[in-house]
Amino acid sequence: MMTQNIRTLFLIISIIFYLLIGAAVFDALESDSESSRSRALEQKLNELKRKYGLKEDEYREIERVVLQSEPHHAGRQWKFAGSFYFAITVITTIGYGHAVPRTNAGRAFCMVYAVLGIPLTLVMFQSLGERINMLVRYLLCRAKQGLGFQRTEVSMGNMVLVGFLSCSSTLCIGAAAFAHFENWTFFNACYYCFITLTTIGFGDFVALQKKDILQNQPPYVALSFMYILVGLTVVGAFLNLVVLRFLTVNADVRAASEGEDSIKVLCFLHQMPKTSSNLTPSSFIVFHSIVQSEAVGV
Amino acid sequence: MKRQNARTLALIICTFTYLIVGAAIFDALESQKETSQRGELDQRKEQLLRTYNLSSEVYEQLEKVVLALKQHKAGVQWKFAGSFYFAITVITTIGYGHAAPSTNAGKAFCMLYALLGIPLTLVMFQSVGERINTFVRYLLHRLKKCLGMRRTEVSMVNMVTIGFVSCMSTLCVGALAFSHFEGWSFFHAYYYCFITLTTIGFGDYVALQNEQALQTKPQYVAFSFIYILTGLAVIGAFLNLAVLRFMTMNAEDEKRDAEQRALLAHNGQAGGHINCSVDPISSSSTPSGCGGLSSVSGNGGGTASRGLRNVYAEVLHFQSMCSCLWYKSREKLQYSIPMIIPRDFSTSDTYMEHGESFSNRLHSNSCVCNLQVHSGISSVSTGLHSISTYRRLNKRRSSI
Repeated sequence: MMTQNIRTLFLIISIIFYLLIGAAVFDALESDSESSRSRALEQKLNELKRKYGLKEDEYREIERVVLQSEPHHAGRQWKFAGSFYFAITVITTIGYGHAVPRTNAGRAFCMVYAVLGIPLTLVMFQSLGERINMLVRYLLCRAKQGLGFQRTEVSMGNMVLVGFLSCSSTLCIGAAAFAHFENWTFFNACYYCFITLTTIGFGDFVALQKKDILQNQPPYVALSFMYILVGLTVVGAFLNLVVLRFLTVNADVRAASEGEDSIKVLCFLHQMPKTSSNLTPSSFIVFHSIVQSEAVGV
Repeated sequence: MKRQNARTLALIICTFTYLIVGAAIFDALESQKETSQRGELDQRKEQLLRTYNLSSEVYEQLEKVVLALKQHKAGVQWKFAGSFYFAITVITTIGYGHAAPSTNAGKAFCMLYALLGIPLTLVMFQSVGERINTFVRYLLHRLKKCLGMRRTEVSMVNMVTIGFVSCMSTLCVGALAFSHFEGWSFFHAYYYCFITLTTIGFGDYVALQNEQALQTKPQYVAFSFIYILTGLAVIGAFLNLAVLRFMTMNAEDEKRDAEQRALLAHNGQAGGHINCSVDPISSSSTPSGCGGLSSVSGNGGGTASRGLRNVYAEVLHFQSMCSCLWYKSREKLQYSIPMIIPRDFSTSDTYMEHGESFSNRLHSNSCVCNLQVHSGISSVSTGLHSISTYRRLNKRRSSI
């Protein structure tokens, strides 16, 4: 019991520290730029207001219209292509916000849609990711055999390396494509792909938002959708390889401790010797896994 | 086709169908409103241009400035409180976008920050969620005892019901709070909480953006942060309970297939080489090593109660890892099963991890099984589990 509590507490404290450190760094990086931009924009606004003789309430009117028109700039967002895009952002939890349901019925349906869709998508990506990892493991084993390696087992290190490389190349390919089609810089396109494939989805950069692309260029639209889904699969496979085991660690430790209690009963019932002088190799396995499970959490 | 492949294919088809159906429904719900709103706004714009005597270029200029100012209207976004809010939206992957880094350094740091922070957060929420589930299970068990119920085990259905109810109440509590503080309707506040706690995070509704709240209302700010993190923990607990097992299904099947393959491959050998008793009832000697496993690393010992663990290890080893022995001795074990599993294991959530098969390098004189080394403790739990739940698991597999 204690191990899991300690581990959980440790994780909570780490997150809080991580957030504090992140906040401090973002503050340092962005605050000055923010205030100078804000000042510059206010100045420009006042200039424009003076130049065209706009009073405050007149400006407010214009402001309102402008803000409300914003989502319409990118063309029709709710025809089938746009709705499909939106549905993707919902069930993958990317959630750009470039298009949001405006009717209450749309919002209610969105919630219901997400409740079913998100677990389905999670399970699907993990399932597919596990299959991909199996395939990669097999291919790597054959490659090692083909290259005449002595030891053809595929280690975890190999798998993690391959996973990391595929994630990076997915990111780069996407960045190159979107930089070309959307006219972004390569860095911004990288940033866009990263924010999308980690499902953060700020919405500061969104693909398929140039004028009417959703309606007029179906191949590019289809390609973008495929890229997002395939990219999420690749990232999901990497997560399946590296992170999923840590999500189940607490449960395993608890089951083990339950197992230990059972063994005590077992011993009592069958009066097996409580100590054994020779440590057989099999016990090393158990030790190893117990020791490892402690190590995993720390 | 292999079960795992069939399952994966089915899931892919399901997801695509789900997307298509969803797209069609959203189209039906939103398209009309979009068209009419667009028409209205165009009319308003024409009106404004005429009323204030503005040309299109001027309007465009104004537009650019207004849109650029949008972020700043909500207050200072990057002072410490705002940055903390932003950091939360990054590592929880909510990602409202109400504030996004504009400097290249900010973007680069954001990516690095997310790379480390997201897995850490995932593990943390699942860890906390598992603790919460265990605690709830314990409370429910005590409650059942107190109420004098005959069967005091906590079933999965109990847990799922409680999980669902706590999620709903978390959403409602949040909706009440935010509708009060932000001036939204209850429905919109509920929608906001839902979109936030599922980490979708559109950004159409974002808390702490009115009246410079980030700078002027520290208690409300603290409440919002705590609400978001706690809410995510509650949702995480529910996911840990209901969804996590499905994410490891393929891996479990792979493991089972590997065990079956090992059994088939070494069926002949199993008969001749067993020289150790597997019967836990016999009190004679601790079964001597059915070799079979390489000591994975010299990690022997260091932990307490080695003797107990030895016994544990022997029993486990024979019963789980050496599947050939498992099959050979199944008949013997059957009558001892109630003894070995004194407690009801139906409530424990043990998930088998995927292990890596490795070829047996030891010069074993008995079972040469295609053994799997599990990187976690699952092997330990698997052992006891496998006895009583092996067949149950098998049945469960075939039903999904």
